[in-house]
Amino acid sequence: MADLSVKHLLGIKNLTEQDLQTIFETADQFKAVINRSIKKVPSLRDITIANVFFENSTRTRLSFELAEKRLSADVINFSSASSSVKKGETLLDTVKNILSMKVDMVVMRHSSPGAPHFLAKHIDANIVNAGDGTHEHPTQALLDTYSIREKHGEVGGKKVVIIGDISHSRVALSNIFALQKLGAEVMICGPVTLLPKYISDLGVKVELDVRKALEWCDVANILRIQLERQKTKNFPSLREYSLYYGVNKKMLNALDKEITIMHPGPINRGIEITSDVADSEHSIILDQVENGVAIRMAVLFLLAQKR
Amino acid sequence: MEILLKNIKLIDSGHPLHNQAVFIAIEKGEISKISKDPIEGKAKFEVEGKGLSVSQGWFDMWSSLSEPGFEYKEDIASLSEAAAFGGFTDVAVLPNTNPVIQTKDAINYIKNTSKFSPVQLHSIAALTKNAEGEEITEMIDLHHAGAIAFSDGTNAIWHTGVMSKALLYLQSFDGLLLTRPEDPHLGKNGHMHEGVASTMLGTRGLPSISEELAISRDLSLLRYTGGKIHFANVSTKKGISLIRDAKKEGLNVTCDVAAYQVAFTDHELMGFDTNLKVNPPFRGKEDLIAIWDGIEDGTIDAIVSNHSPQDQESKQLEFDLADFGMISLEIAFSIINTYKPEGMDVSVLIDRFTKFPRKILKQELISIEEGNEACLTIFDENSEWIFSKEHIQSKSVNTPFVGKELTGRALGIINNQHFKYFGDLEQNFLVKN
Repeated sequence: MADLSVKHLLGIKNLTEQDLQTIFETADQFKAVINRSIKKVPSLRDITIANVFFENSTRTRLSFELAEKRLSADVINFSSASSSVKKGETLLDTVKNILSMKVDMVVMRHSSPGAPHFLAKHIDANIVNAGDGTHEHPTQALLDTYSIREKHGEVGGKKVVIIGDISHSRVALSNIFALQKLGAEVMICGPVTLLPKYISDLGVKVELDVRKALEWCDVANILRIQLERQKTKNFPSLREYSLYYGVNKKMLNALDKEITIMHPGPINRGIEITSDVADSEHSIILDQVENGVAIRMAVLFLLAQKR
Repeated sequence: MEILLKNIKLIDSGHPLHNQAVFIAIEKGEISKISKDPIEGKAKFEVEGKGLSVSQGWFDMWSSLSEPGFEYKEDIASLSEAAAFGGFTDVAVLPNTNPVIQTKDAINYIKNTSKFSPVQLHSIAALTKNAEGEEITEMIDLHHAGAIAFSDGTNAIWHTGVMSKALLYLQSFDGLLLTRPEDPHLGKNGHMHEGVASTMLGTRGLPSISEELAISRDLSLLRYTGGKIHFANVSTKKGISLIRDAKKEGLNVTCDVAAYQVAFTDHELMGFDTNLKVNPPFRGKEDLIAIWDGIEDGTIDAIVSNHSPQDQESKQLEFDLADFGMISLEIAFSIINTYKPEGMDVSVLIDRFTKFPRKILKQELISIEEGNEACLTIFDENSEWIFSKEHIQSKSVNTPFVGKELTGRALGIINNQHFKYFGDLEQNFLVKN
């Protein structure tokens, strides 16, 4: 089986296109596994994985834990409501303590951009970034692009728009990197206060009008409005946001084509997306969730080979 | 004879022997003889100048002292060692200690502690109480106690009313206001230069406009109040250009740049190295070019260390939690000399370590003449060496330069009747005891 070019999954930025294809092909096999009656394989039987979550997470943590268990790894969970421990036990101390219990891999979510990169410099275990602040969320981008590939046959040449709060989104950044590596065209759309000033230098199109963005695209990835991740208010109200940037069925009906609707979850129904869109036949939101387990199995399996 | 410098190149623009090999004899801390011809006689210490140069002692305008309050990062003794290693005979220290330098006692403490040391420390006193930017300090009294300038140091002065009052009040004794230009709102929660790199790192930026706006604002205030301002650690193309225009206009304004600012761009932060987290941040290529243009055409008056010691607990952290700053007194000259454009004369840099800082701060510039006190720095502008942990004299080790090859280094200082020497005995020069 093909090999990854990296020892850790810190971000999509550091991966090659070949890495992405290798992960997808491995995920194909694991997707077949989890749809069998016996959903478990012994691949990581000797491996202990710590899920270290310094930020709240439900689905990502569940998805990782399930992926680990399907691979027969031993799993321990650590969660702390607060990261940013400046005085007292540092991140490095916390993780070193966990590693002293002979842990092989660390899956970490943290509110600081670069926290997994920092760990990778100082410890021996393989690190999987499960989201680092407003930086990257590589497994989400992998499962998103994998889901596009599944629906459309390939990612290359597709037009994908990411709608919402781009400035505070690790999902957006990782998706931009992944889509570009795979040859897709990327557009971002949202209120200007939620778009990073230099984003167009990354080679993405910028559109301020949601209707125009939807007309342009083959796939629309609608982001959750993360009110909790904004220290200053970047738009006046949820009401105004949902009126002018929310995606509803009327907008989709006005298009002369069918587009695929995605959302990384959890959905704020009626804010960035209406229920009739989220639950429509064009939505692959629940496929994304299913694919998440297969993708995470693939990532853990491939990184374990690098030990 | 105590010290004899033999066949050493004099770098002192304006001196009749500038750029020539000279012999200098030093007796009881004074220059007893300077000559193009060999000086007869034996000395206790002899330095043979193979490729070596000597200049007036270097003066650093902007260093964080950390004592009192943060002695675990740096204290007066370790800062003085670091300065001496880097060729500095004089260091102006920021008021951001705990308590803040805002009393006669604090100034006297620093003055007296370094009184007999080879490195003289000078206090920059707080401009506002506790450097909080609200109420001006007793500046006249602090001036008489020995404060050489006034600043809130690492805290940006954001209050225009306070700024204008301070600029007016300082005029009673022709005092100098030092400020690091930064708009506190635009750069809030920023950790690195705002640009493509910060976008790719999902990390909040410190935009160039934050510095430009502060410079522009302060220049407008200066036009209104009169007085004088020195902008510390400028880093942006537009900011330097604003200062250039203000000088042409005749405003009484000067500025400096941190020596290390020319060594990196924001793209080198892609690995989240906290040792590269400094304020002002490493910016774009065009800003680097503007810094060199500013040095060349005289817009930038001084080169400073912006020495900012941080202990491991403040740096071995997630990038956004880590504190700003790097230590650099030991290698400020080496860094700027390593990156200087081809063809630039070293005296352009040396002037910015010697004459100009003293002129800005109204400190006596002792010329290299017989009968004058010896305040000298010995350096080698061409030696290539690798900076390592053993060279660090500071208590802190927060520097990205460990393991880096540098060109040029300070070898020793002669000041205040001391001779402090760090050179490699075998390679560069001889010391005869």
